[in-house]
Amino acid sequence: MDLVKNWKIHLFALLLVIVAERIGIQKFGLVVFLPLFYALALGGVISVPKFKILSVANMERAGQFMPIAMLVLMVKIGLGIGPNLHMLLNSGLALIMQEFGHFFGTLLFGLPVALLLKMKREAIGACYSIDREPNVAIIAEKFGIFSPEGRGVMGMYICGTLFGALWISVLAGIIAKLGIFHPYALAMGAGIGSASMMAAATGSIVASFPAEAEKIQAYAGAANLMTSVIGVYFALFISLPVTIKVYEFITGNKSVK
Amino acid sequence: MKDTWPDIIFILITTAVLVLVSNIVGYGGSVQRDLVGALLLAVIAAAGIFLAKLPVLNKLPIVFWVSALAVVLSIPGVPGADWIVARTKDINFLATTTPILAYAGLALGKEIEGFKKLSWRIVPICLAVSAGSFICATLMAEIMLHLEGIF
Repeated sequence: MDLVKNWKIHLFALLLVIVAERIGIQKFGLVVFLPLFYALALGGVISVPKFKILSVANMERAGQFMPIAMLVLMVKIGLGIGPNLHMLLNSGLALIMQEFGHFFGTLLFGLPVALLLKMKREAIGACYSIDREPNVAIIAEKFGIFSPEGRGVMGMYICGTLFGALWISVLAGIIAKLGIFHPYALAMGAGIGSASMMAAATGSIVASFPAEAEKIQAYAGAANLMTSVIGVYFALFISLPVTIKVYEFITGNKSVK
Repeated sequence: MKDTWPDIIFILITTAVLVLVSNIVGYGGSVQRDLVGALLLAVIAAAGIFLAKLPVLNKLPIVFWVSALAVVLSIPGVPGADWIVARTKDINFLATTTPILAYAGLALGKEIEGFKKLSWRIVPICLAVSAGSFICATLMAEIMLHLEGIF
């Protein structure tokens, strides 16, 4: 039984949850720190291979545990959508249009930075999408994981896993506090299509607008659901070809394949 | 998915228990009030996974079916929806995230070797890419919500 074999990770998970929730939400000026961040960061420290606290098998089990555990969060998000369905349908066009922001925002912000740092075709893999699991699979299939594009997508994947949730929760907190955007717009922006990043961003926005918590979660949940469902197809048929075209147009480097 | 049903059920129940702990420690919950709600989240997730494994339906990802089932089960007028929403509404949204990120954290160690091999340049690019997705979508939503007269 797993509870016996991998008792360490489950015990640590329990301790992490208790410690993280004890610390609670902390605000420092514009920055909001959420319990999920302490759980992630402290868990990361415990799992550092040098400390030899967890075996590789333990870590792999924790990694296999995550996607199924994540479904509990998806249920919670889903249950927040139904009661607000009427409100969401009223802003249906906004929900659809904001997806273009999600899908092209990665290219718009990422590619200039990548080219400035003199990245080559790695930039295509790194900037064409938010680079979660399905996006890695698309690049692996088209270019292979050991191609420059494959290195780009894997680098982003690893980096996003390590820093994505933390970064987006800090960023969302700061942008929410600036007061430029309406909480509903921010909520839709939070629907990035990665459940942990969505949760991190939503948590920060809710911390800034506690009175609107329920509606923020509904908007973020609906946007996230759309991003994850349409995302794969959009990435495959639109984002990737567009990114390749833009990259080749700017650099003048045609593909060798 | 290669996972077996006993394992899926084990994972979902473990997660539900940790969500309950999280809700009690962080958001003033209690076992009496929240036990049913936490287990309901796990049960709906299990039902969604079951749907996603059926022929034809398995063309779409598990996340889709689990989410779709949860959405339908919370629409006012759907039998049982009022009860489900009432039972689960006291489970704080953040309480469902902490246990999951704890496991994500405990799995991070295996990414460190890969990360060391990367060029430092990927870090600023990574931050720009995710910021771009969030900021551009927020901007589009802000414009569209104005045009639709929501605020």
